[in-house]
Amino acid sequence: MDHQGHGHGHGQNPSMGVVGNGPQFPYGSNPYQASHMTGSPGMVVASPGTIQSTGQPPSTQLGQHQLAYQHMHQQQQQQLRQRLQAFWANQYQEIEKVTDFKNHSLPLARIKKIMKADEDVRMISAEAPVIFARACEMFILELTLRSWNHTEENKRRTLQKNDIAAAITRTDIFDFLVDIVPREDLKDEVLASMPRGDVPVTGPPEALPYCYMPPQQVGAAGVMMGNKPVMDPYAQQTHPYNMAPQLWPQPPPPPEQQQSSPDQ
Amino acid sequence: MSDAPASPCGGGGGGSHESGEHSPRSNFREQDRFLPIANISRIMKKALPPNGKIAKDAKETVQECVSEFISFVTSEASDKCQREKRKTINGDDLLWAMTTLGFEEYIDPLKVYLAAYREGDSKGSAKGGDASAKRDVYQSPNGQVAHQGSFSQGVNYTNS
Repeated sequence: MDHQGHGHGHGQNPSMGVVGNGPQFPYGSNPYQASHMTGSPGMVVASPGTIQSTGQPPSTQLGQHQLAYQHMHQQQQQQLRQRLQAFWANQYQEIEKVTDFKNHSLPLARIKKIMKADEDVRMISAEAPVIFARACEMFILELTLRSWNHTEENKRRTLQKNDIAAAITRTDIFDFLVDIVPREDLKDEVLASMPRGDVPVTGPPEALPYCYMPPQQVGAAGVMMGNKPVMDPYAQQTHPYNMAPQLWPQPPPPPEQQQSSPDQ
Repeated sequence: MSDAPASPCGGGGGGSHESGEHSPRSNFREQDRFLPIANISRIMKKALPPNGKIAKDAKETVQECVSEFISFVTSEASDKCQREKRKTINGDDLLWAMTTLGFEEYIDPLKVYLAAYREGDSKGSAKGGDASAKRDVYQSPNGQVAHQGSFSQGVNYTNS
């Protein structure tokens, strides 16, 4: 079967990932540099003890990140649509060529057993498992193709369970499969598929996503806030699409927190 | 990540099959509830580029999804048969169920496949003398008895 529309030539460097038609990034690199914020909005900690102002307020930076995210996402969706179109055209062509109905890619007896598990099913015609064998093959291929799209978005080469969860979440006709994938995978996927700026920051703390940290704790790794060193809560966290971490709105801190203590 | 040897793809012989004991799904052995993982893995690999790999838990998840797909479509087709007071689920019922459940993309290729299967089947049964007499007969919606093999291949699978 030709891998039509996959965009993976045999000679391609496996360490390079293509995102749509955009620029190529090595899988290890991060096209977005995360800036850790502390102090008042619009201020970036360059090093402990010095604070410099950026030209743009955080809302503008967030807007740029969202635009970049949306652009990437649109390219990936377009690429997936093209692949699916090619896939269905290919399926039709392959089926027109079929002459052998004796050998099937999936065992008919097992399909029949699964059908009979439904107590309402009384009799099954000989053609039903044959049709199902082909339908199941198409179902597996479509689900895998949609899952692989998520694998590539995350610049991986191994299809994982969470990729299948993503495909199920993003595809309406796969709604009947939501109970198969654990709730955590689905929840993570829903959060990951939203641009970070869309996460609401109003309301009680329990309504916020689990990664939310109260504003007074957010600081760059090793920065002194008051007299206590604060670790970056995002330091170990992976960000989908290598997005910079969400910059939550912060009240202006009291003056003693604006600068680190002089003995540093 | 070597695959286990594929299970034989036999089964589903001629005629219709009366399901004897209506055992609930919980009584099924674990391996009978799912299609063989080696076969599923082989199909999944077709959709990936040569350098793509598949984690074991992904294969197991797809294995479960496929069984759910079969049950989902079968249930819808079975409901249709009950409404029309028929005992046998045939290919047209499955195609109708898939359309109803939103799998429209599957229908055109499967229509071609079903027509080709029936054509080959009717040729085979013509050679086999009175083998056609053993084929499924069921009550069609308008009350006439129809042979499954010649059941209107131009059926419109729109939701009714």
